Amino acid sequence: MKNTLILLVAAVPLFAASDFDFKQLDRLAANAKESTNITLEGPVLKMASGFIGSKKDKDSAAVKSLIDGLKGVYIRSFEFDEKGKYTEADLDPLRAYLDAQHWTKIVDVKQSKEASTVYVLTLPDSKPGGIAIISAEPREVTVVLIEGAIDINDIGKLGGRMGIPDVALLDQMKKKEKPAKDQ
Amino acid sequence: MSIEDQLRSALRREPAPPDFAASVLAGTRRIASPFWRRPVTLALAASLLLAALIPPAISEHRRRQRAEEAEAQLVTALTIAETQLERVSATIQRNTRRIP
Repeated sequence: MKNTLILLVAAVPLFAASDFDFKQLDRLAANAKESTNITLEGPVLKMASGFIGSKKDKDSAAVKSLIDGLKGVYIRSFEFDEKGKYTEADLDPLRAYLDAQHWTKIVDVKQSKEASTVYVLTLPDSKPGGIAIISAEPREVTVVLIEGAIDINDIGKLGGRMGIPDVALLDQMKKKEKPAKDQ
Repeated sequence: MSIEDQLRSALRREPAPPDFAASVLAGTRRIASPFWRRPVTLALAASLLLAALIPPAISEHRRRQRAEEAEAQLVTALTIAETQLERVSATIQRNTRRIP
């Protein structure tokens, strides 16, 4: 009985909405030129899902099936007018949270002054538990935290549906347009 | 006075007072229209109906507005997530190409 209780208590952080205190990141907005702050969880997320589900087209049904398993969607994006308005230390609490919650760092890329890290959470039953992306540039920082049954491939599938642009397709189009413009 | 004269006097024709017809008609109207057809009752019923129908309609309108806002935020969030993943993927591809 005691062991079961301990197991249940240990499992709570894996299934609950985010415990991360986003106020630690939100204070960066004070120095930012532009900021995006999105928090969708619980009833609001269900409301969005229900609204998408009420549309009777094929895309909406596909998107709804993907987002039904989400527990929380958190976006923080800040653009600064000059360098040095934030430091790596500002992102440390989030990195510490992800490490403590057993998120796995699957990508860590650095190119010149740009660094991006992608984390995934895998639940004990090997099902996806979420995706986190931290992207840092000298004058821009973006944090994406999506908790719930979604993996990287699912996000790719959303492109081109429901007004979500197909970024890969747009890039291909830009590459095709470039030589034509150069001529 | 003989009995005939008494009867004649009692049964003689007398003109009706000038407001007689109007008062009879008013009395008839009062009797004919039941309480639920009176203007005050109808106005009260209409007010109650509106009071019952308007708040749920406003509430539904607000709920729909909130749902639309939530959907727009979700689409923005997923767009940012997709863009970020695509940027990471592009960086990995660029870095991989540099490796001889």
